[in-house]
Amino acid sequence: MNSLLRVTKPLGGKAVPIILLSSLLLTACATAPETPPAAMDVRQKLTELQRNPEMASNARIELRDAETAVELAEQPVNNDESALAKHRVYMADRMVEIARATATTRQMEAERERMGEERDASRLAARTLEADAARADADTARSSEMAAAAMSAKAAEEMQRQIDELEAEATERGLVLTLGDVLFATGSAALQGGSNRNLEKLVDFLNSYPDRDVLIEGHTDNVGSAQFNQTLSLQRAESVHRYLTDHGVQSRRLTVSGLGLESPVASNESATGRQQNRRVEVVIEN
Amino acid sequence: MRFFPASRKNRQIPFLCTLVLASLLTACASAPLPPTESLNAARDTIARAEQADARQYAGAELEEARAQLVMAEKAVAGESMTEADQLAKQSRVAARLAMARTEAAKAAEINREMGRGADALDVEMGRQGEQK
Repeated sequence: MNSLLRVTKPLGGKAVPIILLSSLLLTACATAPETPPAAMDVRQKLTELQRNPEMASNARIELRDAETAVELAEQPVNNDESALAKHRVYMADRMVEIARATATTRQMEAERERMGEERDASRLAARTLEADAARADADTARSSEMAAAAMSAKAAEEMQRQIDELEAEATERGLVLTLGDVLFATGSAALQGGSNRNLEKLVDFLNSYPDRDVLIEGHTDNVGSAQFNQTLSLQRAESVHRYLTDHGVQSRRLTVSGLGLESPVASNESATGRQQNRRVEVVIEN
Repeated sequence: MRFFPASRKNRQIPFLCTLVLASLLTACASAPLPPTESLNAARDTIARAEQADARQYAGAELEEARAQLVMAEKAVAGESMTEADQLAKQSRVAARLAMARTEAAKAAEINREMGRGADALDVEMGRQGEQK
């Protein structure tokens, strides 16, 4: 027992400082712990991202990894481990930046999708607009067609009314208006003085339809020589021609011919027949 | 005879203590093997970043990754393996950042392009509107 004490005593006297020293050395690895100040900056950047809901939702995994890295960087380290601290801060910082870049990319992609939808909407709108325009055009065309039709119907009606007024006869050659010989004194080509309703109506009609050309044909009965009748018929036709040009009808629309006794419309045997044959026909071409 | 083993023990104990201490202290120091895995990962990530056109879109980040790798290789040559491992890991994370920023830049470019297209369409529509 005594010998044992003697053995342990010197041992205890030496062991205590050794253990003390070793524990001191060991704790040197853990004492003076301090969070690297740079880690706080990184933490701030990360918090900023985490607080931005759009960023946070777009890079969940990256932000979680960054969080782990930042937590590690925040671990207190000893003064002699500044290299490790620097390394951890570097890693944490880059992880936060990766999270930011990833979130930005996803945001852009989401935006792109929205832009695509908007573009589709725009296209649709453009197409609708085009279709509307086309429909409107068609409507306008239809209505103008209808208007034109209505107008031509009205015009046709009006023309018919004027034709009726002229008491002209519709034939293959056109409208034929027969001016009786009462217009002329016997054996004379001069028109009777005073107003003539039929000629006035003819002038009105021709001025209303300026694109229509007119053939003026003089006819006679068979009294007298053919030469005389031919000349007379021509002169009478020319009298009508003169009347028309005097009243504003352009002379280039008018063609004059004297047919004499060649085209009777009735028998020359009777006085009535002869009277009917003495005439000037005004043919209004179609 | 009784003293002999005791005296031997007496001499052994400080030796053992020193051994334990030394092993504990070396636990705080670096492993002597080169950080092959970290280095390969860094090289691989740099290569992928280059393939993703990082040179064009995130040149600074890619350069940083390359510089860190060079430093890691130097550390390996100097047998500072812990430093080499840290530098290799930094190189890799820098390359990853280069890739992430490249993707973001590309996405932004595409969106700008699309925006221009949409603007052109709007102009077209506006013209049609005016025609009406």
